[in-house]
Amino acid sequence: MSDTTKLVAEKRSDFGKGAARKIRRAGNIPAVMYGHGTDPVHISLPGHDTMMALKQANALLTIVIDGDEQLALAKDVQRDPIKPVIDHVDLVVVRRGEKVTVDVAVHLEGDAAPETIVTLDHTSLQLEVEATNIPETLVVSVEGLEAGTQIHAGAVELPQGATLVTDAEALVVNVTAAISEAAAEAELAEAEAEAGIVREEEGEAEGTEAPTAEAPEASEEA
Amino acid sequence: MLIPRRVKHRKQHHPDRHGAAKGGTKIAFGEYGIQALEPAYVTNRQIESARIAMTRYIKRGGKVWINIYPDRPLTKKPAETRMGSGKGSPEWWIANVKPGRVMFELSGVSEPVAREAMRLAMHKLPMKCRFVQREGGDI
Repeated sequence: MSDTTKLVAEKRSDFGKGAARKIRRAGNIPAVMYGHGTDPVHISLPGHDTMMALKQANALLTIVIDGDEQLALAKDVQRDPIKPVIDHVDLVVVRRGEKVTVDVAVHLEGDAAPETIVTLDHTSLQLEVEATNIPETLVVSVEGLEAGTQIHAGAVELPQGATLVTDAEALVVNVTAAISEAAAEAELAEAEAEAGIVREEEGEAEGTEAPTAEAPEASEEA
Repeated sequence: MLIPRRVKHRKQHHPDRHGAAKGGTKIAFGEYGIQALEPAYVTNRQIESARIAMTRYIKRGGKVWINIYPDRPLTKKPAETRMGSGKGSPEWWIANVKPGRVMFELSGVSEPVAREAMRLAMHKLPMKCRFVQREGGDI
């Protein structure tokens, strides 16, 4: 992931929600860039290009301000919870060859043994790695793993030059035995009975809820 | 069904239904999720129904997380009762869900299975929802 995405930014001098909304209405994203003891620079980034660049985790960006190029990493991206838009971006200045601490996603590969459930306890690991050489994902193979197997952070293969920052004892992958069919059916039947869900005969429509509601039973604290 | 063991006040005011979710808007544990697009009160019965629908479809593979908890009581007056005479008795336990909240999460199954399981679960919920999944840029 050594290639960078170039984004042409404009300096902004108006701050606050009114100015920020004006920038967003124009299709841009308000952002701030800081790091290495420099004064924070308030900029506005092109909306669509920034959104496409930030689809990749830990994307290394080249920010062009008034003809000057500056390498930066997205430190924090504020997204709208509903709409697919970015509200604000915090960029941290990096230098070529400098080591940075980033979260890298863990990606599972392969199929574990039958009758097992693979749970990813840590979806990302923190690494110290060169800014120009950040891996996209850390691939962990679960091929043929039996129930009871655990993979800790220390056992995950890291790319060359990367150092693990997360505790080496942190659990990453946990392979457990799948619940037996009879036990699963019993648990669901019990839950359905408690919730008052009536299941119709097989081949007919799905179960419907009983119309009666149960009164809450929690006691009031003295 | 989910129900608080003990509460400070047995009868409460109706929770505020305005605004968007402040937190819990991203997938935190699993790979796939159900995100609310409208505000709604979700009862413990609806949560349980959705969980059962999902678990039945994925059978024994995968793991389900429930990220909402029905910790607010709603009261109801008996039928054909005149107004007055105080607040009704507690009738439901609800979670106050706002738009953007990821309510359920799922992992350990393929995407088509997760989509179908969550589609079935969405039919048990009282608001518009959508299927979401972890993306490259979301860590």
